Amino acid sequence: MAAIRQSGRSSRLNKKMAIWALFTLMVIIAVVMLYPFWYIIDNAFRSAGQFDRQAGHSLSGWKELFANLPVTGQLLNSTLVCAASIAIILIVSTTAGFAFAKLRYRGSGMVFLLVVSALMVPLQSIIFPEIVNLGNVHLTSSYAGAVLVYAALGTPFATFLMATYYRGISDELIEAAVIDGLGYERTFAQIAIPLSLPAIATVTVLQFIQIWDDLLVALFFLPTNQRTITAGLATLATGRTTSIPPLMAGSLISAIPAIVVYLIFQRHLVKGLTLGMGK
Amino acid sequence: MAAAGVVAALLAAGCASSGGGSGGGTSSGPVTITIAENYGTEQNATALKNLAAAFHKLHPNITVKIQPQNGDNYFALLQKDAISQSGPDLAVMWTGLFTLQYKSFLTNLKGEIPAADLARVDPDALKWTSDSFNPANGPYVIPLENQFYIGFYNKADFTRAGVTSVPTDWSQLYAACAKLKKAGFTPLVYGNGGQPISATFYPWYDMSYMMIGAYPVSQWQGLYSGKIPWTSATIKSQLSNWTKLHSSGCTNSDVVTNTNNLGQFESGKAAMMVDGTWDTAKFTSALGSKVAAFAPPFSDTPIKGVVDFAGDGIAQMSYSPNATADGEFLDFMTTTQAASIINAAGLIPAINGTTTSNPVNQQMLDLVSKGGMTAYPMLDNVVQGDVVNTGSKFLPSVLNGTQSVTAALQAMQTTLNQLPSSQRGNTFP
Amino acid sequence: MSLTEAKTPASVPAAARRGRSGRATRSRLSRRRRRAGILLSLPAVALVIALIGIPVGQAVYYSMTQWNGLIATWIGPSVYTALVKDPIFWRVVENNGLLLLAVPFAIGIPLIIAALLNEHVRGWRFFRSVYFLPTAISWVVIGMFAQRFFSATGVLNNLLSQVGFGASATDMLAGEHSALVALAITFIWSMVGTNTIIFLTGMATLDPTLTEAARVDGLSRLQIFFRVTLPLLTRFIQFSFVITVISAFSALFSLIFVMTSGGPGFGTTTLEFFIYQAGFQQVQFGTAALYGVVLFVIMAIAGLVQLRLIKPDDGGGW
Repeated sequence: MAAIRQSGRSSRLNKKMAIWALFTLMVIIAVVMLYPFWYIIDNAFRSAGQFDRQAGHSLSGWKELFANLPVTGQLLNSTLVCAASIAIILIVSTTAGFAFAKLRYRGSGMVFLLVVSALMVPLQSIIFPEIVNLGNVHLTSSYAGAVLVYAALGTPFATFLMATYYRGISDELIEAAVIDGLGYERTFAQIAIPLSLPAIATVTVLQFIQIWDDLLVALFFLPTNQRTITAGLATLATGRTTSIPPLMAGSLISAIPAIVVYLIFQRHLVKGLTLGMGK
Repeated sequence: MAAAGVVAALLAAGCASSGGGSGGGTSSGPVTITIAENYGTEQNATALKNLAAAFHKLHPNITVKIQPQNGDNYFALLQKDAISQSGPDLAVMWTGLFTLQYKSFLTNLKGEIPAADLARVDPDALKWTSDSFNPANGPYVIPLENQFYIGFYNKADFTRAGVTSVPTDWSQLYAACAKLKKAGFTPLVYGNGGQPISATFYPWYDMSYMMIGAYPVSQWQGLYSGKIPWTSATIKSQLSNWTKLHSSGCTNSDVVTNTNNLGQFESGKAAMMVDGTWDTAKFTSALGSKVAAFAPPFSDTPIKGVVDFAGDGIAQMSYSPNATADGEFLDFMTTTQAASIINAAGLIPAINGTTTSNPVNQQMLDLVSKGGMTAYPMLDNVVQGDVVNTGSKFLPSVLNGTQSVTAALQAMQTTLNQLPSSQRGNTFP
Repeated sequence: MSLTEAKTPASVPAAARRGRSGRATRSRLSRRRRRAGILLSLPAVALVIALIGIPVGQAVYYSMTQWNGLIATWIGPSVYTALVKDPIFWRVVENNGLLLLAVPFAIGIPLIIAALLNEHVRGWRFFRSVYFLPTAISWVVIGMFAQRFFSATGVLNNLLSQVGFGASATDMLAGEHSALVALAITFIWSMVGTNTIIFLTGMATLDPTLTEAARVDGLSRLQIFFRVTLPLLTRFIQFSFVITVISAFSALFSLIFVMTSGGPGFGTTTLEFFIYQAGFQQVQFGTAALYGVVLFVIMAIAGLVQLRLIKPDDGGGW
């Protein structure tokens, strides 16, 4: 008896040490993950001289940022572009996802494959014909060109996700609603959409982060006075100022919306990813 | 469908807010014109800003908006604007072969600007912006200033280290470096200060001086046509001497990643650097009378030339709806008032009969007018763009010692050989 | 997943139960369904074809021209043979290949981290959020920080000297190969968040009785991990693999753009950056289209290979 009690205590001690070791490891990893954040925040509040010496804090970096970059305007542009692109993506992918999942027609399998395989096309492969095409119809002198490109790039994955989600809705539910006189379109709007809100949330979060942080499309499809904050920041970083604190300040401003959106939709993201795995 | 509605709304918004001016072609109603620039933090940016402000005072109905752009892909942006036929009204354009490469969307200013006004501009500057480099063909660009791409040194550092005369060839340079190093200075500092943060230093200032040391200006066309191959023994020897600067400790060790070279020179920690008139005022305000100009002595025999070249200016986009207002701004650039604004920013105006008030700039002008130095163009403005790009890729690593001289020159030669013959003729296009 | 229970036959309207008219109703329904299907899927298809499909075809055409966006001069298929003979092109492809070597690390490390989190030590949810946070920062910002981190006077060297390794101070971004390593490290760091979440999600869906049974059988923790957990996570690992490889090809671009600009030399020039260079720095859209077509072919092959690997496991096809 005593021997078992003895081993019980030492194994409990081992377990406690293991937990503490684990905890320490996780803290170390957290430090590695967060250190760049800390660096950015720390240096955003310095002046150029203080940055060189790595000592002292001031707000001069922020003043320089706002003097050299139309920050609020660009934040607004980012928001607008994101909202419009995501709106199109959601409209287009929910309808198509529903169609491919529930409203099969001859060849719909192939068409679905076509849409989803567009995922594999890298932006760089099509960007030059894209610029010329959209330029020729004057869509690059406003938001329209960039929004269309973002929408097209986000549709394949979103459609795949929505289709997976809709597959999980029972066929009988749909058929019954239709026979009751709703029609397929209305069935989709009134029944299918409310049931797929988690997937919609997932698509929104993923696309928001991707579009907000995108550089290439924003830089070359948007006119200068309608730039997003990421593009503006890159322009700032490559020559407009050689002092670092304004760049750090700008990075901070740019990172916050994406972080906020992620924190709000965290739970839905997990659920959406699980279902995207086609369980 | 709702999606179609969203797209339609966007298209409508697009048609309503096309870029460029808000008024018509006459200069009587209120007009806004935009100027794109890639000047970064150079004094040119200050000069342009002040020009815009002064111009607005003279023409209160014309507002000038300046659009700073990314320097790395500046020309691609202009190209994309040309494709969509909407973009800035005016834009900074580099001269020489750059102008000729993009002239398809530049307005030829002959006739738009009165000939008498064009005659006020230094013809040596204006010629590099015309077809076949003949000013009679009409310029595409009004130069902003006359530039020197040149070396700067710190007189106090030299004195402290016991360097009594400015070096004029490789061996004197190495000797000066040894003394400066012993006294604790960085003899010759390299870095990408003032340029895109992620890029390495621009090697074509040094290349220009190596070619000045290698060939007289009349033979430079041979570098364009291939008559003088990049793999020639002379060029190889020049580059080997250049690499030795790094391996012998004449330069800082992190030539490829240093970002603070301007600061290091301004603080006196570095004794020499290769730069240009776009930073002279910065240096004189930081170092006062301690700073002076000299020709980088990249030559076996005493160096006899300097790069004196109007490298950039303002051009009018062919699709600009505000041609009249544009023309008035470009015309303003040829006036003596504009010249004094440019001078006040620490630059050398390109207008005949005007002077620079910065003593170091004047020293550069004296090198040519009184010191007998030959004025050379800037090498990257008279060599094919593809070759320049290849060089920019390989040459910094050559200085760093991580790329062999032979390999780099071979790469440039290969690039030249792959160009169609129309782009490597015996005359410029 | 079933969201409602199946309706009983009694609740299906009488019309559908009747014979002849039932068939008519059903075929009318199926026609309406087909029409609705085509209508509802049309916007997506149109968008993808117009903005992705057609440009791919155009890229193939323009790849054989010299093109600056305004004027295209035909050259012909010889550009492809010339490309195969170009040593710089192979150097660039080699860089892509080398960076793919980072993918196992970009998957393996998050796997371990997810396993740690899965132990549900106190505060694990907080750590989960923290680990995913870097995903929200744009690559531009990460690149700017990384550039400062690896520089000769940067954070890494500071840390090294503080722990006594000052002598091994590096200037990683100055050497062609070390710059690639620095890039790979930054890439792995930024993929940790995404992949950790994927694996954690996967582990949460696992049936705990399986691991319990293994523990009762006397298997050690490590053995359980390798012999029970990992095989059950196959689908998630495949998903993460696809995402990581896609990121290795595309998202790396912004990192390179800010950190090294493809340099020194061609040390960190990947195929995507090579395309950017040709098109946006040298304004040669035809050459850029050429490299773009090659990139697309490589991605397509990689995608097909992955599809082959995934499909046998997948019971329900499309």
